[in-house]
Amino acid sequence: MVVKRKRETTVVSKPQAKEDSPPPVDNAQDVFRRLFEAQFEPLDLPGPTAKSTNSDEENEDDDDSDLSGSEGDWDGMSDISDESNQVEVVEHTGTYAAPTDRMDKKTWKAFMSGKLLSDLEKPSTEPEPTSKKEEEEDVHESANLKHDLALQRLLKESHLLESADDLAPTGKNRLKALDLRMQSLGAKTSLYAQTKMPTAHRRGIKAKAESKEDRRRQEAKENGIILEKPSKVQKSSNNGRRDRGLVGSSVGKFAGGTLNLNKDDIARVQASGRRTMGGRGKGKTRGGRGGRGGSKR
Amino acid sequence: MATSQPPLRFTSHHNLVYRLVLSTLTGQTVHISQIRSSSPTNPGLAPHEISFLRLLDAITNGSQMEISYTGTVLVYKPGLITGSTSGTGASGGMITYELPSNCNRGLSYFLIPLCLLAPFAKAPMKVLFTGPGVITSSTPTGDMSVDSVRTAILPLYKQFGIFNNIELRILRRSNTGPTGRGGGGEVQLVFGHQVRLPKTLHLMNAGRIKRIRGVVYSVGVSGSNNARMIETARGILNPLSPDTYIFSDVASAPLVPAPDKTNPQAKKKIGLGFGLSLVAESSTGCLFSADVASPPSGGQAPEEIGKQCAFQLLETVAKGGCVAPAAVTTMFTLMTMGSEDVGRLQVGRDVIADPNVVQLARDLSNFGAPGWGIRDAPDNGDGDVIVSVVGRGIGNVGRKVA
Repeated sequence: MVVKRKRETTVVSKPQAKEDSPPPVDNAQDVFRRLFEAQFEPLDLPGPTAKSTNSDEENEDDDDSDLSGSEGDWDGMSDISDESNQVEVVEHTGTYAAPTDRMDKKTWKAFMSGKLLSDLEKPSTEPEPTSKKEEEEDVHESANLKHDLALQRLLKESHLLESADDLAPTGKNRLKALDLRMQSLGAKTSLYAQTKMPTAHRRGIKAKAESKEDRRRQEAKENGIILEKPSKVQKSSNNGRRDRGLVGSSVGKFAGGTLNLNKDDIARVQASGRRTMGGRGKGKTRGGRGGRGGSKR
Repeated sequence: MATSQPPLRFTSHHNLVYRLVLSTLTGQTVHISQIRSSSPTNPGLAPHEISFLRLLDAITNGSQMEISYTGTVLVYKPGLITGSTSGTGASGGMITYELPSNCNRGLSYFLIPLCLLAPFAKAPMKVLFTGPGVITSSTPTGDMSVDSVRTAILPLYKQFGIFNNIELRILRRSNTGPTGRGGGGEVQLVFGHQVRLPKTLHLMNAGRIKRIRGVVYSVGVSGSNNARMIETARGILNPLSPDTYIFSDVASAPLVPAPDKTNPQAKKKIGLGFGLSLVAESSTGCLFSADVASPPSGGQAPEEIGKQCAFQLLETVAKGGCVAPAAVTTMFTLMTMGSEDVGRLQVGRDVIADPNVVQLARDLSNFGAPGWGIRDAPDNGDGDVIVSVVGRGIGNVGRKVA
């Protein structure tokens, strides 16, 4: 609305200015234009072209008129820019981030894996740069831990060491120390515990250990020292019976995928049904079993 | 017990998927009639709805469905949700499910309901989606991309105490096919956390947006599209949230078999395009997502897509509440399936005024769930409301027996 009104005033002012100047009768187009404008609405021709249509001799007057109606001419210019020459708007978004804050490959992989977003935040926070002070602290911390470990080991294994000069056990002692460490880590028995030995030998060891324990308890009792409660004697899970494995049959001998029955076994099986033969058969089988068991060992 | 009850009767195809899900979860038979009965050209069930029924059949044991001759009437009698136990169509503990090429919905149409069923399964749910109908991107039909399901829907299950061994792997990407149908993607869902009952949820503090993550993908087109999308989206989002990262993925176009007379082994490229998925996470763990992909007809510049997506994300966040519109169905359904306790959830007024949410509320009450209590959130100028949902305490039938 406002623009339109302005335009009217400007264009009306223009012919007025031109009337002051000598009328350009020789220009037929101008005459027609004025005639047209008198009857209808004023035409809005682009300024420069209108100027070019003017004859050369009126250049000075034209300049005068331009100066006199400078305000009007300026409005006309803005009019022209509205109509024909659209101002090109260039949008510049300069907020793009520097390449430094692009994600690295590791984070990309972590994110694009099938895992959920909530699980991924831990690794993404991990590679944050730590300050120098923190790193130094970390170094100290790890050194302290190492020293702690060495001290603990020394305390535990000092009885193996021959002299106080060499703090690291060597040779046989090193193997023993390793064994001790294994046990402290949860090994059931020592690596060097003898697994196979004559029964008498084992019994002897067992008896010795028991007597030692008894003596210790006795002495403690006499001296009024309260000891830990004696550990319960382990009962063998197979109460008196030998574990026969999966295919263990109570009859015969299983070897090479076949169950071998000898005469005794057959007799025993047959005898178990009859009561009259029971006593004798039983006795016989018992003997047979014992013998077989021994041979198997 | 449930078998003796008369079936629940519904009409029209609206909310069909969630009706079937609720039916499966509650064990009630449903009778849905007048499915697109007024349509002279395509009456009855649409291809994607048939696909969903087949998916339900694959993951349940003993479900029966009857479809009328015209497809306008469906009777569904649910079975037990077994998950992917071997012997029931699963090979190597993985159900392979193939989608036909005339499917015009994104994979999230199947994934989101499947994830709702998965926590109540008897065994872990492992499904491999494959075939010429798998569209991993967002679609013009309004489905979100699979990336958004992974980054914006699945993490919500954590709030219900379901978080272990959940994975969604996109093995092959695909945008929508040239006519808006078909794709060639491959997606693997592993949902290994089965619960007896989801935890009661009290979520009433939306917090502030602390980080924005996103995935930008181009399938079979130049990777420079990705950079252009990222640049525009970041240009808008970075001044608002400095912790904005968008990950780029460039994939080659999937090949699907297209046999013709001369060459029966012929294959064609399908599902070209690009897209962007954005997720905003708040300080209290609420997630808001936005998804835009290039239309199948093409003709949109990557800058346009990036701009649209960023604005869509801002709009979603502006709707307020603790839940994005895309996740509200999941949240309310899980809350209803929870223990017999009152859970509370703050949602934006625009979010709950959505016709789909209203329909869900009606359907839930049809399935016997108590109504929702809605009141204005205190000291909140955004006009949020707090919805109180009482759990039904049904939970996992398979777990109860086992």
